[in-house]
Amino acid sequence: MTPDRFQVIHPKDLKDYRDRAGDIGEASWPEFMMHDSIANEHWHELFDRFSEYQFALLDTETNRMATMGNSLPFRWDEVISALPEGGWDWVFVKAMEDHKNKVTPNIQSAIQIAIHPDYQSQGLSIRMVQAMREIGQSKGFKYLVAPVRPNQKSKYPLISIDDYIQWTNEEGLPFDAWLRVHARTGAKIIKPCHEAMIIRGTRAEWEQWTGMKFPQSDVYIIPGALNPMQMNVEADEGVYVEPNVWLVHQIEE
Amino acid sequence: MNNESFQVITPNHADYRNLVRGLTKEIWPEFMLHDAVANELWHELLDRFAEYQLALYDTQNNRAAGMANSFPLRWDTPLENLPEGGWDWVFRKAVQNDKQGLSPNIHCAIQIILRPDYQGQGLAAPMVEAVRAVTKSKGLRSLIIPIRPSDKHKYPLTRLDDYITWRTRQGLPFDPWLKVHMRAGGKIIKVCHESKTIRGTRAEWEKWTAMKFPQSGQYIIDGALNPMEMNLEKDEGVYIEPNVWIVHEVG
Repeated sequence: MTPDRFQVIHPKDLKDYRDRAGDIGEASWPEFMMHDSIANEHWHELFDRFSEYQFALLDTETNRMATMGNSLPFRWDEVISALPEGGWDWVFVKAMEDHKNKVTPNIQSAIQIAIHPDYQSQGLSIRMVQAMREIGQSKGFKYLVAPVRPNQKSKYPLISIDDYIQWTNEEGLPFDAWLRVHARTGAKIIKPCHEAMIIRGTRAEWEQWTGMKFPQSDVYIIPGALNPMQMNVEADEGVYVEPNVWLVHQIEE
Repeated sequence: MNNESFQVITPNHADYRNLVRGLTKEIWPEFMLHDAVANELWHELLDRFAEYQLALYDTQNNRAAGMANSFPLRWDTPLENLPEGGWDWVFRKAVQNDKQGLSPNIHCAIQIILRPDYQGQGLAAPMVEAVRAVTKSKGLRSLIIPIRPSDKHKYPLTRLDDYITWRTRQGLPFDPWLKVHMRAGGKIIKVCHESKTIRGTRAEWEKWTAMKFPQSGQYIIDGALNPMEMNLEKDEGVYIEPNVWIVHEVG
């Protein structure tokens, strides 16, 4: 991999940017993760309101989009440790409201770094985190925060995320690979946000999303989910509450 | 199945041992190979019950497509009384009965498997049929099996007692392996909740599963039917596998 093979691009640089970015999302996430109602309702706002906070790495050798990063600015006047349990869903709505109300933002939040499966394990994740920080830096923000999805938590769905984020490897770095990428680039764990995303669907929808069957009300292990999903057959509703971890990168000393 | 190319063979066949070597390892998740009773008694199958061991021989490719292991034992009370101990219990009981020279009256299969590349080809039913034929030829009244439902591992938080009541639209069991047996005439007796017990140190479980167990608690293990309980203070992880007692009334 040559150092300049991957070029940071923004939505204005590519005509079909959104389609190509969408393909990366679909290739990166389990199907049920595509059904967060906040994300589905408001995703276009990222491009309408916060276009310069969206970016991707273009593989200049193949002209393929290898990764995508999404972030947004918002206003936060309290201490960082007071960020709420609502995590991902909360910060998305907050940023939109701030923008609508013309509140001047003072902090940046990452909401997604997705790496196409063909480009994983090539060190691009660290590049993405750095590119994300550079956006915040150019805006003069002091902090980049992120409700991070610790991917490997899906193998440990019965462990509380509060415990899981304390697991470390032999070097004393976080056990989780994604948390480790952030730690290596200087991030600190703030705390879990236990209701970062809420995904609701009917029984038929969950069956379609997962290829499983849900014949009775129960808790179910869903491949790729960080916690069990609760199915209520009587209410014809399955609810998955995804926990994430608030991280903070200090951008300026 | 092309009946011409598949043949049921027993250990009398000169190549039996070579043909079935490694088959078990191909089928089961690694941790399933560490049941203490199985490891202690497996050799008894060939030592004591050789004529009850079968393989499905693919004559065209000179491979064993599958294997069925069973033995006879003595059981004098109603089948509803079969114990929670399932697989581990029945293996010990059969060996004990044989040692005591007790004449058997019932047949029990403890494993019916097909190699992954022979699955989904309609070979499961003939395998079950071959085992039922042994029950009949030995003059035993019933074939019982502590069954491992093949899809339960996708539903590790659902009680097995509930899981076995799940049905397809045709009214057959939801679970593919239970379905094969019901179609072949089998009936569900009940769940045996402690059919196999697999114990290992933390290091052993980490090796078997490629996972990490940094704290005591319950873990979801790929391929396990229920969660595994890890106790770091005792340096021991325990997995208790539930199975389903089923019966084929053959005699």
